Amino acid sequence: MIATAWICLLSPLGAAALITLAGTRISRRAAGYLATLSVLVSFVAALITFFRLIGETAEERSHASTLWTWLSARGLDFGLSILVDPLSVFMMLVVSGVGFLIVAYSIGFMDGDDEERRYFAYMALFVFSMLLLVQSADLVILLAGWGLVGLCSYLLIGYHQERPEAIAAAKKAFIMNAVGDATMALALFLLIQRLGTLEYGGVFERIDDVGGWAMTLIALGLLGGAVAKSAQIPLHTWLPDAMEGPTPVSALIHAATMVTAGVYMLVRLNPIFEQAPGVQDLAAGLGTLTLLVAGLVALVQTDIKRVIAYSTMSQIGYMFLGAGLTSYGNSMFHLMTHAFFKALLFLAAGIVIHSLVGEQDLRRMGGLARLLPRTYTAMIVGALALAAIPPFAGFFSKDPLLAAALDAGAYGRLLWVGGLIGTFLTGLYTFRMIFIAFGGEPSPFVREHLHRPGHTIPALWMAWPVGALAVLSVIGGWIQFAGLWDPISDFLEPVAVSGVEPSGLEDAATSVLAVGLSLVGIATAWWIYSARRREVPRWEPAQRALEHKLYFDELYDAVLYRPAAWLAAAATRFVEGPLIAGSIRGLTDGTRLLANRVTEAQTGLLRTYVLALGSGAAILTLVFLVVRA
Amino acid sequence: MMGPDVGWYVTVSAFLFAVGALGVLIRRNPLIVLLSLEIMLNAANLSLIGFARHLGDTAGQVFALAVMAVAASEVVVGLGLVVALNRSRVPLDVDRLSTLRG
Repeated sequence: MIATAWICLLSPLGAAALITLAGTRISRRAAGYLATLSVLVSFVAALITFFRLIGETAEERSHASTLWTWLSARGLDFGLSILVDPLSVFMMLVVSGVGFLIVAYSIGFMDGDDEERRYFAYMALFVFSMLLLVQSADLVILLAGWGLVGLCSYLLIGYHQERPEAIAAAKKAFIMNAVGDATMALALFLLIQRLGTLEYGGVFERIDDVGGWAMTLIALGLLGGAVAKSAQIPLHTWLPDAMEGPTPVSALIHAATMVTAGVYMLVRLNPIFEQAPGVQDLAAGLGTLTLLVAGLVALVQTDIKRVIAYSTMSQIGYMFLGAGLTSYGNSMFHLMTHAFFKALLFLAAGIVIHSLVGEQDLRRMGGLARLLPRTYTAMIVGALALAAIPPFAGFFSKDPLLAAALDAGAYGRLLWVGGLIGTFLTGLYTFRMIFIAFGGEPSPFVREHLHRPGHTIPALWMAWPVGALAVLSVIGGWIQFAGLWDPISDFLEPVAVSGVEPSGLEDAATSVLAVGLSLVGIATAWWIYSARRREVPRWEPAQRALEHKLYFDELYDAVLYRPAAWLAAAATRFVEGPLIAGSIRGLTDGTRLLANRVTEAQTGLLRTYVLALGSGAAILTLVFLVVRA
Repeated sequence: MMGPDVGWYVTVSAFLFAVGALGVLIRRNPLIVLLSLEIMLNAANLSLIGFARHLGDTAGQVFALAVMAVAASEVVVGLGLVVALNRSRVPLDVDRLSTLRG
């Protein structure tokens, strides 16, 4: 079981290394096959590990394994250690399974691109990094995985190197994630100082020894990392820009896996966060705020990928809401179903974009339902799952998450209201996108440029993963029905005990309200955006604010970027110039001046030299005579 | 012993040496500089002979002969240089021969 866990982790890394070393000796498509195969191996290994694990009793299900120790200092041992327990195996399955489908899809999507090999090497490296993150046995490897996924995100967002917008977006993502990494590292320093260890077991046992302000700071630092990685307010502005990357990258990294790392952390480190309940409440509050803001901003987006990006932000807000209120099982379940339907939405959108030779603007699309029927079906399935309509997957995971909020006091009830409003918004913006792109008559742009995917090999590679994800978006939710049958929550019990239990009535009431509001949202979208194309109600100031994404970018530009740029310019002018460059220049100038003075002694005249010799000898003689006397 | 005391010999030698030194420093024609150099050498010779007579040791006279031989060789070289300078139409003026300045 440990061996299969290591195979799961190292297989994609091996593929990345092989593709890099082989370079142009393998064909581009071979690189794709290699990467896909390695992730498949990873998934199979994860499956085997899972089945071996459930063969054990619940108490035994925790195995750590260290490959080698890298640093050993006074009781602190850091090495490449992985942990096989319910939570890590759950994430391994999600990451490698959905990853496999998306990398397979990429074979079709990236077909013909010049730098396919680089793409697949990066994708394999990313799967390895994400697996490292979820399989970590201590906080150091967690942080290492954290940084590595950030790196892969940067590399893949900026994949189209010739596009300056892509490069800028990659930098933005990396820098914002670096802020989170920094707060996380500071939290780890505090933990080392207080507890002397960073292994999960050691930390969780003694975490209640740390009290007061240190505990709050540790929890806040860790939350900072989670907020940055999961694109929650206030560190969320990088995610919409990250859509500059290729669509499968958006699906894998910015929907199904990397951005969910924050939720994973909240669940994995729940003993730490439970010692700082204020921070947990903050996490839930930020999640709710994000889900509302993202839902509102999604209403005015004109790029199909950005609608889905804001939707991701919103859904992760739900997961933060749940994890913050200690409903861990439901958060992880929603993470899984979200991976299915969000990846589905992105990949189907990718097929649409490919068919329209790269066009992503919703305003130029229209009437694609009849022209791309199977893609339309896939999108509808994804959208219904997202809007949490039964019997699709989203319904079974999102509603219990919301219901749990009712069991968490007055604050929980407030967040519950927010979550319900979000449900309405979700239905509205999702189906706005669907109706604008697919409904009505084909737009002029579509009539001119549409290029239907045929039955070529690349098209087939794109089609079957979408089909698989559509199936999963339908049946994926049937694995847990809150209250009656909870295999996932029970499976995760040893690692994360949920603190809130909604009653059957609360569950039912929430579900009815949520589904109802969602349907109202869908109906509103139909009424405004579908066949009749009614005038969209607009309120100018709100419209402008939403189009500017509530001015967060402008705020960060004014508060963070401008002062830093001014400081840098001032430092160049007043410190670098006169002090540093000036001191070097002063040194050389002074030396040259001195040298010039000294060379004036070389007059070239014979008499000067003779005089110097003679007087020197005379003076020396006098001195000797005087001294001897 | 007849003749003047050694003091007179040393005085004349010092006077000749000073004249020679002044000539080397002040005159501009290299030939005159070489001549002044010869005067200085002869002053040293005179001093040597004077002390040889005073101390009754003939080593001084022998050394004076050696000095004369060296002076002769040096003059050969010096005059050769001056003649070469003249043949190359270089002005015979030590003040103007200063291209090795820094």
